[in-house]
Amino acid sequence: MPQLVKVRPTKIELIKLRRRLFLAERIQKIVKDRLSILTLEFLQIARETVGAKRKLIDNFSELYRALSIAAGYHGYIALEKELIASERDLEIAAGSRNVAGTRIPTFELKEAERVIRGYNLVDTSSWLDQTAQLSEKCLEAIVVMAELQSSLELLGREINRTKRIVNALEYLVIPGLKATIKYLKMKFEERDREEKSRLKRVKVLLEQR
Amino acid sequence: MINELPYERLLQECLRGELRLLNAYLPRQQKSLADLLREEYPHLVCNDGSTHLFKRKELKYLASLIDADEQEALLLPMLIGVSSGQGEMAIICRGEVEEKVISKILDMPVTPKQQRIMIYKPQLSILRQMLKTTTQYLFSPKIID
Repeated sequence: MPQLVKVRPTKIELIKLRRRLFLAERIQKIVKDRLSILTLEFLQIARETVGAKRKLIDNFSELYRALSIAAGYHGYIALEKELIASERDLEIAAGSRNVAGTRIPTFELKEAERVIRGYNLVDTSSWLDQTAQLSEKCLEAIVVMAELQSSLELLGREINRTKRIVNALEYLVIPGLKATIKYLKMKFEERDREEKSRLKRVKVLLEQR
Repeated sequence: MINELPYERLLQECLRGELRLLNAYLPRQQKSLADLLREEYPHLVCNDGSTHLFKRKELKYLASLIDADEQEALLLPMLIGVSSGQGEMAIICRGEVEEKVISKILDMPVTPKQQRIMIYKPQLSILRQMLKTTTQYLFSPKIID
């Protein structure tokens, strides 16, 4: 049974309650729309995450295969020496975007101008080139994955919060207001009836005199 | 029978915050695609003072869809108006560039009515998949009514 709002049984309060009900219903519509948008985005990101994860795993398995071939070809020490020489800084543009009131991080790996990889091209094989290429691909996939995963978490949390608000409105606030309005209306009708019977009683008493 | 709702004030605060939050992220002003492409970190300042970062990849994709002079006319982010309780959304467009971009992305002809292109949820998900940072939702009381 919905809980009644504590108000004085006056006409002014009834008008105020009606206004509040109208506002609550309107807010409920907006919040429901927001929830549907958030759910839509969440499902889309979840779908993308599955694809990105699969791509990441494929890229890594390819990379490990290429890396082990390169390691077998050059030897671990030589390979390590070349890899140290090819180290370079990464630049990621990090910011945020907003999805229906939820701030979501965005990451973008800045495309480096075709820099020459640090290792010696004469002494190394094409296996190493392939390994380097694949590792760049893996980096891109990691950045994409990081964005998607954090978006998924944030959206999930926001959906839960919004759902709680929608439920509170749907099952607590609006029924409470409706019940209070009904209660006040009944009270006023009861008052009218009492007034009428009182008048009748007074009339009868006056007639008896 | 009359009980005081313990969470009523809390809820009202929450709802007030909800409404404030809805359109706070809208940009103070839109920027043209050409301007954004010239920036090193293409971004916008929102109503709440936060920044909205555009992905260069998306900007380049949009630039590939239209001519150089149309890039000046395309204002970003494109606003998607949400209609209450209906399955359709309205993309607010001021010119023919938006129409061209949307029809190319969705691979179907679109016709704007009263400066609005109406799309449905399956089309919206395609659009949002392609243009994550270059589109934004708009909860307009006008549309909601």
